[in-house]
Amino acid sequence: MSQLEVEDLEVYYETEDGPAQAVDGVSFTLEEGENLGIVGESGCGKTTLAKSIIGILPDAGYVNDGSIRFKGEDLTTLSEPERRRLKWEEISMIAQSAMNSLDPVYTIREQIVEAIETHRPGTGRVESTEIVTEMFELVGLDPERADDYPHQFSGGMRQRAMIAMALALEPSLILADEPTTALDVIMQDQILKRIATIQDEVNSSMLVITHDVSVVAETCDRVIVMYAGKIAEEGPVEEIFGQPYHPYTIGLKRAFPNIRESSQDLLSIAGYPPELVDPPEGCRFAERCPMATEKCRTEEPDAQYHEGLRSYCHYADQIDAELRPYADDPTTWKQTAAATDGGVEK
Amino acid sequence: MGKASFVLRRTLQLVVTLWAVGTVLFGLFRLMPGDPTSYVVSSQMTQEARQRLIESYGLNDPLHVQYIRFLENLVALNFGQSFHSNQPVTDVIATYLPNTLVLMLTAFIIAYVLGITLGVLSGWYRGSRFERTTVVTALTARSVPTFYVGLIVLWIFGATFNVIPMSGMTSLGTGGQNTGFLDMVFTLDFLKHLVAPASVLAFYYMGYPLLIMRSSMLEVLSEDFIDVCRAKGLTERTIMFKHAARNALLPIVTAAAIALGYAVGGSVLIETVFAWPGIGREMVRAVLRRDFPVAQGTFIVLASTIIFLNFAADLAYGYLDPRVTYD
Amino acid sequence: MAQEEQSSRSIYTDLDETTGGEEIDKWQRTLRLWRETLKEHWGLLTDELSVKLSMLTVAGFVLIAIFAPFIATHQPLQRQYQGEAGIIIDKWAEPSLLGAESGYLLGTTAEGFDIFSQLVYGTRAALLVGLIAAVFTAGIGTLVGLVAGYYGGRVDDALMRIVDFLYGMPLLPTVIVLVAVLGPNLWNIILALIILQWRSTARVIRSQSLSLRERPFVKAAEVAGAGDWHIISRHLAPNVLPMTFLYGSFGIAWAILAEAGVSFIGLGDPNTVSWGTMLQASRAYSALSFGAWWWFVPPGICIGLLVISGFLIGRGYESITNPKLQ
Repeated sequence: MSQLEVEDLEVYYETEDGPAQAVDGVSFTLEEGENLGIVGESGCGKTTLAKSIIGILPDAGYVNDGSIRFKGEDLTTLSEPERRRLKWEEISMIAQSAMNSLDPVYTIREQIVEAIETHRPGTGRVESTEIVTEMFELVGLDPERADDYPHQFSGGMRQRAMIAMALALEPSLILADEPTTALDVIMQDQILKRIATIQDEVNSSMLVITHDVSVVAETCDRVIVMYAGKIAEEGPVEEIFGQPYHPYTIGLKRAFPNIRESSQDLLSIAGYPPELVDPPEGCRFAERCPMATEKCRTEEPDAQYHEGLRSYCHYADQIDAELRPYADDPTTWKQTAAATDGGVEK
Repeated sequence: MGKASFVLRRTLQLVVTLWAVGTVLFGLFRLMPGDPTSYVVSSQMTQEARQRLIESYGLNDPLHVQYIRFLENLVALNFGQSFHSNQPVTDVIATYLPNTLVLMLTAFIIAYVLGITLGVLSGWYRGSRFERTTVVTALTARSVPTFYVGLIVLWIFGATFNVIPMSGMTSLGTGGQNTGFLDMVFTLDFLKHLVAPASVLAFYYMGYPLLIMRSSMLEVLSEDFIDVCRAKGLTERTIMFKHAARNALLPIVTAAAIALGYAVGGSVLIETVFAWPGIGREMVRAVLRRDFPVAQGTFIVLASTIIFLNFAADLAYGYLDPRVTYD
Repeated sequence: MAQEEQSSRSIYTDLDETTGGEEIDKWQRTLRLWRETLKEHWGLLTDELSVKLSMLTVAGFVLIAIFAPFIATHQPLQRQYQGEAGIIIDKWAEPSLLGAESGYLLGTTAEGFDIFSQLVYGTRAALLVGLIAAVFTAGIGTLVGLVAGYYGGRVDDALMRIVDFLYGMPLLPTVIVLVAVLGPNLWNIILALIILQWRSTARVIRSQSLSLRERPFVKAAEVAGAGDWHIISRHLAPNVLPMTFLYGSFGIAWAILAEAGVSFIGLGDPNTVSWGTMLQASRAYSALSFGAWWWFVPPGICIGLLVISGFLIGRGYESITNPKLQ
């Protein structure tokens, strides 16, 4: 039994115009001790997915269908108090290091101890202090500063404090939501290395949600690429980033400059992701895809399996021949419906 | 070090503002039409007696001499004597100020406790009917003049149903000149008189903290740390009060201190409607009868209350918000 | 962030305005910029039902004020006599709305004035005070705030000292004293209000101005050699306009309440009827004890309606200035 099994999950948001299908039929598994990355552009549903696993969907969000099984238990059917029991103790979260991820009017220590006291009431002051000290040392922070307020820490320090707090109860699963977005590159590197070290010691599995593929490349074993609420492709990191089998992933790769190659034009995929309130029939990427056919516009693709990758494209087996050789050429990407329409938003 | 110099600078500002207010006051009251001396001297007095009296009040001296004397007196808290009753103004203030304070503070405390709680709840339950009703009620409470609400209350509960007394702070015949303030305050009679004005005032005051607290809550609830609190498995109640409200409270404290200052200044109207013998009502009566010393003295008390409370608000905010640095 | 986009959009639209290379006059461009900003706000504002209703209410009152002579049934300060002997009505006429046969819609006051007409004409006083005071307090406050925030340094210090001082003066008592000094008439009340009320607008606009002047587009304009006035009117002012209108709307509300209060105390204009003077008169003649509620209830309702409209319109602007509250 995998630690985390998400099956056909549908998470919608209520809006004035009807339900927005933010996550629409997503399935994947996560094994113990494994690191899984989830990448995609803003609005692809990765944050909604993360929030539904942690259990912090806003009032307007709800699980429409599907299941999230953690160690066999379906989280979507649990009552509030039961869910709360699991929160932080089993599944914790590393939020973005924005100033506002920590409550500004309480000290770091107070906030970590709050987590401890909530789930292990009766933990004496001595033991809590030990835990805080241990965690601080683990993340490389001076335990003497545990009584400082968040604003007295630098951005990188605050992020480490968040990690310390996330690990305090030794959870089985940690969700890192954009863990390095608000940091500069140097700090990013430090934090990522720190996370890697800790992982060896702590043995939690991790879900890394980010739009920054380099973060995933450095920390994860497997990765899921999401687009418009669905999975585009999933597989081991080296495969997905080495030889992906979905046009979107290929386009994504080209959008990131490669430092080793000689100067190249940055390539962008014309168009925008579709509306989630009334999503198009068929493959959601069809409008922006150079390989799209009539079939793509009417039929949703099933999973195709290649070399350990799961890819949702009707023509995945033809990518080697038809797309990959031309992927570097900007004109390839101009032969999409979105490009010829002038990239008009739906 | 920053803190000390901050306090020092604010204190200096306090003194300067007080001085400025006093000076403007001096000018204003000297400019009022109507001869003040006519209240003091009667036409039957001889010219000499009249002159002596005028001199004793110093009303003949050149303006700058009067001003210096005014400033000296101000610092010594000597506000002179009432033209009307010959009592020292400080006595007048001492008689009436406590009445205002009792009324204000009672109403204020009720209003803020209720207002803050309702504000927290309306912010939390945003979009609900409860929220809409409270907001509309709060707005209405602030849109209708307090003295009007007072009139309506007096009419319905006083004149029509006769449940509350029509005026004053105590009924005729209860207590005399020698009843101590505290003795009076704890009588049923006093409370009966207090209920109506305090409720009307509380109804009016409540709107402000309610609306501010609600806005503040809405802002705080959109912050990321609230999500983290939820992820930590804290109960909704804990998040609402320990985290959201605690953060949302910061602007309220300063707002409350400032509002209290204005409440004292605005006491004029309610005291007039309910014939409550307070300092606001006294000030208006003094102005209408050109009783300079009393008008001046009471005004200074009102202004000083505001100034001191604004000062306290500044300090309080620095204390409550750990992020504030003293520049 | 939505708010920033909104602000910078107003600024940059003007740069694209030059159609086909015409040389448009600088002032025309400023005016057009302002006009577009206002149009944008109008759209956002009138989305809210409460704002629409409030604007209708205010419009209604304005119409009543303008057409008062046609709506009122009598002159507001003309004693009504009964009978040929010319006796002043000694018993208050009851309202014909309630079935009495007096011929006066809302009855008469103890002095023999027609209440309904007083109510109608009172609209004029309320709107006069409200609108004039609001325009000036918002206007002066915005000007001072912009200047203080933009120039900073000693100018800012000096101006804010004045504001601090004004904040130390209790509103109603000061207005009372000023009116006592200047004489109880409507214009003095308005003047007294203006002298004090601009303080709140000034403070808020100043802090906005302070933060705006650090923004890149202002710095860019400075580097390009734009004059101070140009920057203030083209770059800062359109962005603080929502705040100005917010405080303007609130200003209407506060001014009407203040005038009512001053009149109630007895320092109102004896030659003009306002809702405040009506309330004062009703009290002076113990309408309460006599149960003549048709005298004192309607003026308060009118005040309440106009004031809440002012607040609601102001709150409509709050959503524009602070998108998080939407």
